[in-house]
Amino acid sequence: MLPRTHGRLAVAGLATTGLLVGLIACSPVGQENTGGGSDGTASPGATATDGERTNKTGTAADPNAIKPGGRLDIALSAEPDLLDPTQARSLYSRYVFSAMCEKLYDLDENSEIVPQLAAALPEASADGKTVTIKVRTGVKFGDGTAFDAAAVKKSLQRNLTLETSARKSELGPITTIDTPDAETVVIHLETPFAPLLAALTDRAGMVMSPAQLDKLGDKFSTAPVCVGPFKLVKRVPQNSIELAKDSNYYDAGKVYFDSIVYRIITDASIRAANLRSGDVQVADSLSTQDAPALSGEDSLEVLESESLGYQGVTFNIGNVDGIGQPAKPIDKPHAKDVKVRQAFDLAVDRDGLVKTVFGGLYDKACSPISPASPFSSDAAQKCPDRDVEKAKQLLQEAGATVPYKIEMITSNNPDSLRIAQALQAMVKEGGFEIQIQPVEFSSLLDQQDRGDFELLQLGWSGRIDPDANITNFVGTDASQNVAGFSDPALDELLTNARQEQDVEARKGLYGEITAKIQEQEPLIYLYRQRNLTGVSKQLSGVRVYSDGILRVAFAGHRK
Amino acid sequence: MRSYLLHRLWQSLVTLILATMVVFLGIRALPGDPALALAGEERDPASLAAIRERYGLDEPLLLQYWKFVSNSVRGDLGTSIRTDTPVTELLATALPVTLELSLLSLLVAVLLGVATGVAAAVRRGKLTEWIANALALTSLSIPNFWLGLMAILYLAVAVRLFPASGYVPFFENPIANLHHLVLPSLVIGTGLAAVVMRQTRSSMLEALSADYIRTARAKGLSTSAVILRHALRNSLIVVVTIVGLQLGALISGAVVTERIFGLPGFGKLTIDSVFQRDYPVIQAVVLVTATAYIVINLLVDLLYSVIDPRIRVRGREA
Repeated sequence: MLPRTHGRLAVAGLATTGLLVGLIACSPVGQENTGGGSDGTASPGATATDGERTNKTGTAADPNAIKPGGRLDIALSAEPDLLDPTQARSLYSRYVFSAMCEKLYDLDENSEIVPQLAAALPEASADGKTVTIKVRTGVKFGDGTAFDAAAVKKSLQRNLTLETSARKSELGPITTIDTPDAETVVIHLETPFAPLLAALTDRAGMVMSPAQLDKLGDKFSTAPVCVGPFKLVKRVPQNSIELAKDSNYYDAGKVYFDSIVYRIITDASIRAANLRSGDVQVADSLSTQDAPALSGEDSLEVLESESLGYQGVTFNIGNVDGIGQPAKPIDKPHAKDVKVRQAFDLAVDRDGLVKTVFGGLYDKACSPISPASPFSSDAAQKCPDRDVEKAKQLLQEAGATVPYKIEMITSNNPDSLRIAQALQAMVKEGGFEIQIQPVEFSSLLDQQDRGDFELLQLGWSGRIDPDANITNFVGTDASQNVAGFSDPALDELLTNARQEQDVEARKGLYGEITAKIQEQEPLIYLYRQRNLTGVSKQLSGVRVYSDGILRVAFAGHRK
Repeated sequence: MRSYLLHRLWQSLVTLILATMVVFLGIRALPGDPALALAGEERDPASLAAIRERYGLDEPLLLQYWKFVSNSVRGDLGTSIRTDTPVTELLATALPVTLELSLLSLLVAVLLGVATGVAAAVRRGKLTEWIANALALTSLSIPNFWLGLMAILYLAVAVRLFPASGYVPFFENPIANLHHLVLPSLVIGTGLAAVVMRQTRSSMLEALSADYIRTARAKGLSTSAVILRHALRNSLIVVVTIVGLQLGALISGAVVTERIFGLPGFGKLTIDSVFQRDYPVIQAVVLVTATAYIVINLLVDLLYSVIDPRIRVRGREA
């Protein structure tokens, strides 16, 4: 027997280790929304592809039917990170920002860009290198200070210069920002950058109170002040975020709730239970398993909207030394021979996938361009039919051993595992043998960046401008090109598309880009999620657009 | 007594240091890094590097450990990487929730466990004992998360007796606070109650067959006086031990239950920060948990020596 002292040390040591191990072992259960927590991948949002399902994005509030006042309780599936537009990185902080921090531009229900704090759409110079934005007048921040062009400039510059800024690359090659008068902001660019406008409809376009920025510096998230219908009252980390109606807001007459409380409830079934019990009136990211039952209840409705993102699988083609390092050849048929990747694509049954795994609530996808995007075209939506025989033939031509064994890493949340298993069963018929390697989400990110995978199943929550959904992933040496893929012809197309100002011309270019990706297949697109949001019928005016963001600021309780 | 106390304190300190090392190295051995977890989709290499620099994640391990220990001693547990909140503030909001939940769960466990345990012992061989045993076995076998889900489904959603989740601080609204905690503490408490019940039953049986009970009965004391004042009192020392030993179960029970009921306590904080690789928070949480564990063990030991002086004597001999 151990002496008393050692025994106790051992017990305490074991207890501590046990706690850690236990926690890690818990990950499969809890993971579900952590993925979502980091803006993409497992995030709810996503999309309709073939237009089979109709969007139900909610309707504008009906002032006559609303009883002003009261509190709105919302169940959020993951915790927002920093409430600082410059540093925020999660989708969930965008939900909260939508009630708290207005942007220069916004999206409307048709995914079209409309002015919000800007007075009109921007004007670009003929060479595309100067963008002029007129801003609204008579607007005040939550702290009562005046909103003007100088405030816009200060926020934009903070986005460009703060060390921990997550916005730098979104804003593109900005050289200088001028404010000739209090209503005008002039942005000078080194090269034309079409995605700038889309970036200004998101966090990069949010304007922070200069007074509060001076006071708090990089700790702005502790007490953020913007222009918005609501302002932050308190945040209980891990638990809730409470907002109250902001009397300084310029359009306060359209704001009905006195307060909004975002409660973090990570488990989808618990979120559904809270919605049913009435403890919350809105819940985001319903699971495809709960949604049909919830929409059948008298007191509830389920909003659905297409998203701009995609879910897919990525092959490791040349990521040997990790992201940011030059690609190196990998001696594996799937890395060397495009035929193997094409065979994989042909072996996938996308229709079957969305039907069996998601009860048909999600849509199949073959390209990075969502049909919800204004840059979508027939070419961008072209989807090859499943052809198992052709797949086998291509594998044979590539000289690969059949069944072709390939290891696929995937997040260990229940949805991802079901997709992985469905995929495994489908491609088996085409001669592939997927070995599923489930890993916890943080580890997955780590492995993909280090290049420690053969095949990776992950997605992207999507952005308005197609460039943000493509270039980073397949552009040579791009920051998220985990495939280690490089194709100079594709790079050239991507650059042209980014610099082109004409929407129709860009549409054409993105069609070509899609074809090029489909030809090389570093990434195989599989499906698009839809944003499924549960809403109590007691509310009027809750909306969810294609950007996946829950918009509740102008909703209210029904009489 | 004093040397025993000193000896135990020294042991505790060594244990604590070992625990910090295990935790510190353990979380860093996990794949995944906080900057990546935080960056999620927005993984621009420059901003990743800036995050690493800001939180000292690019420093050598030994230096990071030294900073963690020396800052902790000074009461500075760092800043959460995910939310930029001081960790002490996170702990200060999470700790009362878990403490309250634990106390209420213990209360449920002791009340239910002792009552059914005594009943089972006194009514030995009768239907009462059979029912008590069956109940104990059932509650031992049911996992917390399932019980929690069922409680939400039936008691919160179907009949709406209790809120499905959430938390209100006690000082803000005591009634709402208790209302929110009934289900979670019942869920954790019933699991623990089974253990308490079985222990109470067996030590009560032992006590009831002891000579002093026969003497007490022979003196003409009422049955209730015999059971409550003599037998139960002597059985309670075992119950105290069991409750102490069950603390681990209480903590792990809280981890799962807090998550299900959306209680912003320690367990939820821990899980969430592990997923986000929020090192400062995980370190602090485990540090506090280990300290609590050690202190409670110490207290239980000291409590023994107060209740039963033989233990103190043995302690001195050791």
